[in-house]
Amino acid sequence: MSMHSKTRYIILALLILIPSIVNLGVPIYNRDSPELFGLPFFYWFQTFWLVACTGFYLGYSKLMEKKHD
Amino acid sequence: MISSDMLIVFVSLFIVFIGLGFYGKYWRRGDLNHVHEWSLAGRKLGTTLVFFLIGADLYTAYSFVAIPSGVFAKGSLYFFAIPYVMLTFAVALVAMPRLWTLAKEKGYITASDFVKDRFGSRTLAIMIAVTGIVAELPYIALQIVGMQAVLTVMLAGYANAQLVQEISLLVAFVILAAFTYTSGLRGATLTAIFKDILVWITVIAIIVIVPITIGGFGNAFKAASSSYVTLPEDLVPAYATLILGSALALYLYPHAISGVLSAQSAQKLRTSTALLPLYGIGLAVLALMGVLVYAVPGAMNFLSGFPASSRGILVVPSLILYSLPSWFSGVALLGVFVGGLVPAAIMAMAQANLLTRNIIKEIKPNLSDKSEIRITKAASTVFKFVALGFVFSVPATYAISLQLLGGILIAQILPAVFCGLYVKSLRKVPLIIGLFVGIISGILMVEFTNSFGQLTSSLLKTAFGPIYIAVIALGINLVISFGGSLIQKKMDSKKETAQ
Repeated sequence: MSMHSKTRYIILALLILIPSIVNLGVPIYNRDSPELFGLPFFYWFQTFWLVACTGFYLGYSKLMEKKHD
Repeated sequence: MISSDMLIVFVSLFIVFIGLGFYGKYWRRGDLNHVHEWSLAGRKLGTTLVFFLIGADLYTAYSFVAIPSGVFAKGSLYFFAIPYVMLTFAVALVAMPRLWTLAKEKGYITASDFVKDRFGSRTLAIMIAVTGIVAELPYIALQIVGMQAVLTVMLAGYANAQLVQEISLLVAFVILAAFTYTSGLRGATLTAIFKDILVWITVIAIIVIVPITIGGFGNAFKAASSSYVTLPEDLVPAYATLILGSALALYLYPHAISGVLSAQSAQKLRTSTALLPLYGIGLAVLALMGVLVYAVPGAMNFLSGFPASSRGILVVPSLILYSLPSWFSGVALLGVFVGGLVPAAIMAMAQANLLTRNIIKEIKPNLSDKSEIRITKAASTVFKFVALGFVFSVPATYAISLQLLGGILIAQILPAVFCGLYVKSLRKVPLIIGLFVGIISGILMVEFTNSFGQLTSSLLKTAFGPIYIAVIALGINLVISFGGSLIQKKMDSKKETAQ
């Protein structure tokens, strides 16, 4: 049981940490190519990442909910 | 010069907006003589409504005016607003459901209520309330600057434009004050949904129409300079720390906390917070307008008629005017206009709660519930007009600079509020000293950076490159709060062993 809750805790932490590290890791996305519809990578990646973040956060939210079942 | 069909659309939609504001009183009826009913809509808002209400906090004139204005003037640096909102929801997911649970259990309405109960310190609670009220004022002023920008673009070319603009703003604020007085947060929530519909229609129209008329995004980036394409290498530390500092600060603002506490359950709050990054897509489109405008000759020509310092805030309204059909501009411009009005209402209500519950009630503890709600309603009206008076008396660019200072101040309540939720070992005295030193050092660094003149920058030049001052001041504050608590704990245990 304790192993299970430990895994759950690690997954919860990763669901918050992965998107955050990407957001703060500016050099990861600070480049101009590849472009998308004429938009430099810098702009379209961060906009796309909003959708990815929503996925991570919904995962976190669902996993938190399970605890109360 | 604007056309009459645009004016008709603008005015009719504004009338619908007023109607919704007053109707709020009857929506999900509650006894509005109770503070939690008036200021937290009875803690009954579900996932969708909390999404819209907190979205309204995010989609303020800050996104319509300050961010596109920054992108227009300085380029890619101001795109930090996008990763900042993503990170802020990570912070919110961890901290806010816990605050919600405690608030529901113990009847807190403000962050200051929590701090007073958690640390048993009136001084700390009052300091937090004052910081909240002060930091919120320039934020409200910024909303009014956004509304002013809409009116400036609409009235350009008319005689007496300045006078008509000030009267229009005054009328808008009297109406706003009247419906927040009667409907409380319910009125704000209903108008927030209306506002969001207008804003989303506008954002979608712009992202479809503008790139087609200018022949693709590429042309806009060609028309702008290279610092617009990617972030210049030396600005990377500034970008990262602006993301971090702003993300930590947003949910400390009193109006954001009111939004959170109005949720029906911690889980509903979590789900709506998780979905909120989607809102940022609209913010990204608005920020891009700061670049797109370079490829729209009509708008650039119009902007060149204004002094360079005030062109930025006019970017979004003038792009709307010069790229959308005229009746549709009426829809879009009203969206931007009420986009400032709704958050201003929510912010003034949050300030009023702090003033009444955490300052006046501390001095006069036997205040009845009835007087409490009466003073709160009156104070929320006063705060709105203080902000309006502020905007009439200082230049618009200055109002935006003060908003930078507001962010630095509000970040300093983080150790007591967020860390206080999770860390057991924190003590009140180090927190008080940390908050005080954080605020003073923050103000001094801002003044030093701007050579004690007009505030234009919130970045301190360091050996690691330019760093957002809020992060440095918060660092100092955290060291004092945690270090001091540790020392105090050791001294206490020594005393015990000596006895």
